[in-house]
Amino acid sequence: MTPTDCPPADPPPIGAVLVVGGGIAGIQASLDLAEQGFKVYLVESRSAIGGHMAQLDKTFPTNDCAMCTLSPRLVETGRHLNIEILTNTEVLSLDGQAGNFTARLRRKPRYIDPLKCVGCGDCEKVCPIRLPDEFNEGLVPRRAAYRLYPQAIPAAYAIEKKGVAPCRDACPAGQRAQGYIALVREGRYADALRVIKEDNPFPGICGRICNHRCELACNRNLVDEPLNIHALKRFVADWAYARPREPVQPVPHTRPERVAIIGAGPCGLTAARDLVSLGYAVTVFEALPVAGGMLRVGIPEYRLPAWIVDREVQDIVDLGVELRLNTTVNNLDDVFAEGFAAVLIAVGAHEGRKLPIPGADLPDVLVNTQFLRDVRLAELDDGRRTRADGQASVAGRRPSTREQIEGKRVLVLGGGNVAVDCARTAVRLGAASVALACLEARAKMPAHVEEIEAAEAEGVTLYPARSFKQIVSEAGRVTGVACVDVTFMQFEPDGTLTLETAPGSEHVIACDTVIFSIGQRAGLAFIPADAGVGVTRQQTIAVNPNTFAATRPGVFAAGDATTGTAFVIEAVAAGHKAAASLHRYLSGEPLEPRFAPDLPVVKLTRPEVEARLARGEVRPAPRVPMPRLPVERRRGSFAEVEQGYDEAQARAEAARCLACGLCSECLSCVYVCGAKAINHDEVERVEEVGVGAVILAPGYQAYTAALAQEFGFGRYPNVVTALQFERLLSASGPTSGHIRRPSDGAAPRKIAFLQCVGSRDQTHDYCSSVCCMYAAKQAIMAVEHAKVEGRGGQVECHVFFMDTRAYSKGYEEYYRRAEQKYGVKYHRCRISALREDPATRDLLVRYAESEPWTADRGQPSLKTDHCSLTTDHFDLVVLSVGMEISESVRKLGRDLGVELDAYGFCHTTLFAPLQTSRPGVYVAGPFREPKDIPESVTEASGAAAAAARQLAPARHTLTRRRDYPPERSVDGEPPRIGVFVCHCGANIGGYLDAPGVAAYARALPGVVHAEANLYTCSQDTVAHLIEQIRTLGLNRVVVAACTPRTHEPLFQDTLRQAGLNPYLFEMANIRNQCSWPHAGDWDGATAKARTLVRMAVARAAELEPVQTSSVPVQRAALVIGGGAAGLSAALALAEQGFPVHLVEREPELGGNLRRVFYLAEASRRLPVTSGPPDPQTFLQEIVSRVRDHPLITVHLSAELADTAGFKGNFVSRLTDGAEIRHGATIVATGGVEYRGPEYGYGQDPRIVTQQQFEALLAGAHLPAPGLVVMIQCIGPAEKFCARLCCAIALKNALKLKALNPQAQITILYRDLRTYGFKERLYTEARRQGVRFIRYEFDRRPVVEIPAPQSPISVHVWEPILGQDIRLRPDLLVLSTPVVPPPGARELASRLKVPLDADGFFQEAHPKLRPVDFASEGLFLAGLAHYPKFLDETIAQAQAAAARAAGLLAQASVRAEARIAVVDPARCVGCLTCVRACPYDAPKVSAAFNGVGGIAGAAFIEPALCRGCGVCAAECPARAIQLRHYRDAEMLPKIEAAFKSQAPPPEASLVRA
Amino acid sequence: MDQAFEPEITAFYCLYCGTMAADTAGALRVQYPANVKFVRLPCTGKTDIRYLLEAFEQGADGVYVVACPIGNCHHVRGNERGRARLQRAKRILDEIGLGGERLEMFFMSGSQARAFAGAARTMTERVRALGPSPLRPAAGEGRGQAEAGEDDEAGFRGRRPGRAR
Repeated sequence: MTPTDCPPADPPPIGAVLVVGGGIAGIQASLDLAEQGFKVYLVESRSAIGGHMAQLDKTFPTNDCAMCTLSPRLVETGRHLNIEILTNTEVLSLDGQAGNFTARLRRKPRYIDPLKCVGCGDCEKVCPIRLPDEFNEGLVPRRAAYRLYPQAIPAAYAIEKKGVAPCRDACPAGQRAQGYIALVREGRYADALRVIKEDNPFPGICGRICNHRCELACNRNLVDEPLNIHALKRFVADWAYARPREPVQPVPHTRPERVAIIGAGPCGLTAARDLVSLGYAVTVFEALPVAGGMLRVGIPEYRLPAWIVDREVQDIVDLGVELRLNTTVNNLDDVFAEGFAAVLIAVGAHEGRKLPIPGADLPDVLVNTQFLRDVRLAELDDGRRTRADGQASVAGRRPSTREQIEGKRVLVLGGGNVAVDCARTAVRLGAASVALACLEARAKMPAHVEEIEAAEAEGVTLYPARSFKQIVSEAGRVTGVACVDVTFMQFEPDGTLTLETAPGSEHVIACDTVIFSIGQRAGLAFIPADAGVGVTRQQTIAVNPNTFAATRPGVFAAGDATTGTAFVIEAVAAGHKAAASLHRYLSGEPLEPRFAPDLPVVKLTRPEVEARLARGEVRPAPRVPMPRLPVERRRGSFAEVEQGYDEAQARAEAARCLACGLCSECLSCVYVCGAKAINHDEVERVEEVGVGAVILAPGYQAYTAALAQEFGFGRYPNVVTALQFERLLSASGPTSGHIRRPSDGAAPRKIAFLQCVGSRDQTHDYCSSVCCMYAAKQAIMAVEHAKVEGRGGQVECHVFFMDTRAYSKGYEEYYRRAEQKYGVKYHRCRISALREDPATRDLLVRYAESEPWTADRGQPSLKTDHCSLTTDHFDLVVLSVGMEISESVRKLGRDLGVELDAYGFCHTTLFAPLQTSRPGVYVAGPFREPKDIPESVTEASGAAAAAARQLAPARHTLTRRRDYPPERSVDGEPPRIGVFVCHCGANIGGYLDAPGVAAYARALPGVVHAEANLYTCSQDTVAHLIEQIRTLGLNRVVVAACTPRTHEPLFQDTLRQAGLNPYLFEMANIRNQCSWPHAGDWDGATAKARTLVRMAVARAAELEPVQTSSVPVQRAALVIGGGAAGLSAALALAEQGFPVHLVEREPELGGNLRRVFYLAEASRRLPVTSGPPDPQTFLQEIVSRVRDHPLITVHLSAELADTAGFKGNFVSRLTDGAEIRHGATIVATGGVEYRGPEYGYGQDPRIVTQQQFEALLAGAHLPAPGLVVMIQCIGPAEKFCARLCCAIALKNALKLKALNPQAQITILYRDLRTYGFKERLYTEARRQGVRFIRYEFDRRPVVEIPAPQSPISVHVWEPILGQDIRLRPDLLVLSTPVVPPPGARELASRLKVPLDADGFFQEAHPKLRPVDFASEGLFLAGLAHYPKFLDETIAQAQAAAARAAGLLAQASVRAEARIAVVDPARCVGCLTCVRACPYDAPKVSAAFNGVGGIAGAAFIEPALCRGCGVCAAECPARAIQLRHYRDAEMLPKIEAAFKSQAPPPEASLVRA
Repeated sequence: MDQAFEPEITAFYCLYCGTMAADTAGALRVQYPANVKFVRLPCTGKTDIRYLLEAFEQGADGVYVVACPIGNCHHVRGNERGRARLQRAKRILDEIGLGGERLEMFFMSGSQARAFAGAARTMTERVRALGPSPLRPAAGEGRGQAEAGEDDEAGFRGRRPGRAR
């Protein structure tokens, strides 16, 4: 689709949004959009959403567990009806325009159907493949069948497969070689045999005589030698056949048709096995007295012992195949007459040929097939069948063939494998000498090199490149063969031979017996000319090569009879295909096989192999040699020459496999999957979706630490990246949260954190914004872990850093806590060298300690030597790697046509921070600029608002609602409880007696039905549950399965679909709390499962339906504050169609933005092509848009007087008397610049704040000061970092430099906190000669103001010089912080929302609810939340608008089901609940009568209650009950833990 | 102590960190004794003294509560309120001679699988050392509902005259 396809007029936009990236930003954007009534396609390139946040242990600054906070969002996203998660998916292109895009998506296969997979993990347990676990940053391996992490959503597993391994691709029968090799390596030989037999019924045979094209294709050829694949196959067969044979169960005949197969060779038998397995009655006709065809009579015993063939044939026959030996088919009509519906001719090519040369008919001239057959059948006649030990000989009565060989000079004519077989057989029969002559030159002989070499080793003489003229004889006895030398030979494509011989080279090779071995053909005498079956000129049966159908309907032919002589594996392949074709024929389907797309073949390239060698993943290792019988023991013995691998040899050889396809297709997962969810034949496909807008949240990649070679990552095992360290810290990580260094697993006692790895360096001119804080967190956690492990916190953490960028809410305090409480030592330097002590693998870090970082340091002397280097030992070094944009994300940006900067970050403008260069495409998260979680979440919500603004007319056009049947009343019914016990595959059923638990449950009071299911959550079982609830009239349901955290919503929904109230449901977690943690205790786990079910049943019996009330939503918003945040939020809502009341305390809109004249344009951004040029123009534009918007009512010079109500329904009064009904409130009251007395402010006009300085710079009359000093961190900013001041100081310094290049500027600072792209301001300021002097709070600069006319004097300690210096500035600029405005505290108490310690409004959760208040329906944005830049303010205002819109878009809000309810008759109005409630939900009102009818009882507002139950537990009068957790429901459960119940007789504690 | 004595333990946990820690412990196959039976609460702020005592009265030899880490409660400070109530219950157990050490509270985040299993082991070992609860009914016999009747309940509020603190 091209843009011109879009209709020209304004079409209605598409009410769907494509969100790219399943990290926390993508998740948040998706949830916000879905709540606002849009369909969301959430595209994630990996197999699960969660992004980097899922990998984190704790999050700063609250030390919340990342997974605890993320997981509920994951579950919510996964279950949302209007979010479609597209995993393993990439966006290829985006056509169309804003409102009407078509996105093309590449959907890679995950090979496990997420709709069928129940996440039991059985596939993972059996998978033999180990790959580096990218979720654990390569610290541990994971399987090819995997779930990214335990809490992953979708919970379904996936298989990582690059494609078909070359060995499988090369095999005509598609043998899954990598699969059985992997299983051999794991020692799982029975499983290996199973997968071999999947494709090939002859493992023992093919393990010996296959021509193994797999080995030619093997990628290991690029390293050293290919794997000895056929030997491994043979090993598996030998292993299995050395064990007692398990009887094969016959397959019942489920099909009416009978099939005849002519020929019991490999082709016919393969087809017979396939067809009998499909349920057909199969009869195999064999002319010979033995089955096996050429395998049995054409291949000599020393290569293929007869017992192997007999054994593998028997395995097929025992499936129920009727085998008629010694039965020659003379006529096809007879076969059909006998009632066979179809015939497969697979007679092979058993007729040897002689050259039509003189003497060929002499008695001592033999033919290969006949010769070999005679030898083998003679053994049979002898009754001396070979034994399993292979030690056989053909002694005894000598058949005539033997007599023709023994003591004779034998000459074999031919150069193929059969010829070699003949020659080597002759050796064993005792020939005086054996020679072999052939047309081909030695190098071109068709026989395998190893066969030829073996023959020579056994004494066979070779006469290559001969053409045979005649058999020379004397008195009817052969004396030799007349030959000429061949100089050139070639078979033409049409089969004719071009031959050049050397004139005069005629000679005779003397011999007594000649064996022709020049090819074979099928014996087709039973097909008369009128049989309707065509025969080709080459004497093969004419067939359609796709279907194997012969020219007569119902007749099929395959194998050598149709192709001429080929290898056994080709016969097997043909047998499979013929059987499939016959099946289609007999099922009435089209004969041509359905098109099956090919999976890609994994061909490794030499660079790839070399890279793996370099990484040490692959080590050169030659083939494990195959043991052979010594030559001297071969003569006269048919004992097998190749002896086969023993177990150690086989496993060593298997370990050489490169696992080219990743997944080996061993099918172990397929066999074990009870949900039948696995399909290895899935292929990639391209899909298109229509969307109105796109949000890009593809996230970052951590800097590749191996590129910074100076830090030794990848070479020194004890140098890890921060993400690896995060996994080491994680309690669910590879070390269970015990920090262990990789080299030896020891607990480190001294850890170094190196900051700015991949940030603020030559190749990255930006700061990654998060590393300082995460390093502080990791250091704190390391100390905490050491405490818990009983080492008394004895781990020393050292951080090597340049500036600590603790710039956001609570960060400064956190960072100081790391230093002061946890003793983290900060070194303000970059290290100069890092090397490893090879003996201990400790790391030696060299650094210049220029400035001791202690608060109580004395008077240091003037340092003259700056190079005083210290070397320190560390057990572990953690690299604080920065953020980068991956190549795939850059490609995404290019493919989607959005502008990127040189680093791949998405280009946006400061006035439209979430808008990419392409209309309709928005951006959130680190793709725009490095940032932390809350800012990413904020931007995600903001981007959702931007998309929603555009798509508002299409709201609810593509969303779905689930319709439920009316709820059945269960009032007055006695409990009729249904109990469903889940096996969860083997996850529960493998560790406890699940059917026994169900049987036990059946006898519990109130239970009318109990059953056990394989997977209770599978789609068909859920349907069955609904059916059972309906037909059995159940009114309570207990599911004993996994965790309610993920599955309770699913089953509650099931109840609703069955017409039951969803709260009549109880779950017993017999998996996570029982079968898994008591895996070794069958009886204990079973007993506990019974108790948990008994407890669940006891509670279920008392459960009551819970009805939730819903209240219509007032679809208007109140925005308090008319600055940049309030204006942006108001517009974002109004443009989505929601009326807005905008309240501004001052008589004018604009707030602080009125005093901003230019911006710190720090990003190396592309030129601004559209939008306002400066802040003041932007302000004018936005103010006029607000004023002109019909849905916005502006209230100037007004404040909020009071407000009441709850989410969706507030009533607020303003000081101007207006009364407003609204559903949501946004607090955007801004902040003010601090104007305190510090540093002489207010005493001299030459001392100004940055805001005042900016006004001076912007004004026409700049006093052109020559010398300016700026002081950072003023007043309150000594306690909290006000985020803005550093960049504003630099902005103004650079502005001054632009206006007056001669100006001298000195900035007195503590840390330069120019995070993200603002780092470039710092770089630029240094470049332009701005001076920076660091100071400490224990030695602040001192400002002296001597007299009005004399210069101001600033004294400051210069730490590098080590002395006090004096500055005499013309102008002293104080970088004072933004602080909360006056009145914030009053507003907070009016709204009943909290403030933080610094007086800013406190959000609900600093990470994941950054613009929500804990009280629902209230949101915040802008400086009211914390100081922030204009782009951040606009993004946050849009985010608040999105969150509010999510509420306002609902027709009504539902109260929580789980709410506390007061029984006024028991209430004494003691106010305990009022004090206890964290949400201010209870009120004591005289409107209610309490105990004894006395006025004054508590009432809990349902819309405010969040259901924690604190009030119910505190209430001294027990007047409060928490719905769904009433005492009447809880106490029976507590009691039932001990009420032992006699087990019903059928339940017993024995393993089922 | 009698090694054959297998304590019966009831554990309460919140549906946030507690649930998740239990789930994670299971998913990571961290093993702990099977004698602990779990009761889910919406928040450990709902930890009701009556529930704790009821468990003892019905035959528990030990009871514990698993909550979110202090400062990370999903309902602001519910875990701290729960802890305060649990402390009161401990004092009651001390006063009636059952012993407050049979009751404990653990704080952990959802990923702390080993801490969850550790709590189960700690309590099992501690209670095994203490021996069976004196309130424990004779083997196999459950105590009737009557003993947890309305009259007794009032006493367990910890607000009987002369006992208030």
